[in-house]
Amino acid sequence: MSAFVLAAEGEGFTPPGKEDFWWPIVGSDTSAWTLTRPAVMILLSVALIAWFLLAATRKRSVIPGKLQFVGEGAYGFVRESIGRDLIGSRDFLRFMPLLFTMFTLILVNNLFGIIPFVQYPTMSRYAFPVALAGLTYITFHAVGFRKKGFVGYFKDLVPPGLPAWIVPVIFLLEFVDKFITRPLTLSLRLFANMFAGHLLLLVFILGAEHLILDGGPGLKVAGVLSAGMAVVMTFFELLVEVLQAYIFTLLTALYIGGALAEEH
Amino acid sequence: MSTPASQRPSHDGRDGPLEEARAWAVVSYLMAGLLTFGGFGLLLDWWLGTSWLVLVGMLTGAGLAFYLIWFRYGTR
Repeated sequence: MSAFVLAAEGEGFTPPGKEDFWWPIVGSDTSAWTLTRPAVMILLSVALIAWFLLAATRKRSVIPGKLQFVGEGAYGFVRESIGRDLIGSRDFLRFMPLLFTMFTLILVNNLFGIIPFVQYPTMSRYAFPVALAGLTYITFHAVGFRKKGFVGYFKDLVPPGLPAWIVPVIFLLEFVDKFITRPLTLSLRLFANMFAGHLLLLVFILGAEHLILDGGPGLKVAGVLSAGMAVVMTFFELLVEVLQAYIFTLLTALYIGGALAEEH
Repeated sequence: MSTPASQRPSHDGRDGPLEEARAWAVVSYLMAGLLTFGGFGLLLDWWLGTSWLVLVGMLTGAGLAFYLIWFRYGTR
């Protein structure tokens, strides 16, 4: 990281920027075949989740052990307060694999942002949220078209009971909402939260390092304060990371539920 | 809509995951309104050589989005 080197040499401070998110491991150019740190991390997260869930379900008992308790707790939470509540008791079960996978995958990759030695939120590279939002997008439209038919799905975009003159305008609004801004806001929310959060931590941590190593006595105090803020913001990030995983899954379920719901 | 309030395990009827999800989904409607009608305004500005229609478009779009959000989530 360039900021590290410059700060250590006392040549002035380079504020962290988007280049701090580019971590090639094999290959260094921007070609599509460069293996990057987030690519390795998402594979690691899949391995971790698989290991955890297998370990949690291997020895199932009526009185659950610690692992089983955590595993069942997480699944129960996604199933009851996301799946059942938003999709409805009739249809929610067949979407549980998708919802639970999404929740755990995003949660673990977000938590990577503050786990020591990993410390990089995978979702701060926009391609990852885009892929996940794309999955949501394809799923809820496919479900809607299948359930209501091509024409029926478009008819059902507009809620019933609107004054007739406003229906065309609202149809346009609903169309843009469901086909353009939903995937956009879904992916951008996750990406921007993780990107901004990581940048914020970089600012406080690199700033503290620079101030303490290179600053005068007064600036060293400011550096200690900056380090304190880095600790506070790390806890704040923990909150944001869990919340964003929850919101992404919540909205996926809401969109699926909306596509299944009969408006007429 | 899909699930009546009485069937949901929410604390006071207005605090369940459904309401929370809708609150987050509202952003998407607002953006749809702003982008679509702001975009129309921009195109009209470009075509007619004016510069204020984009503002009218964005305000109209935001207004329509608010109306739709109220109609969808506020009236039933």
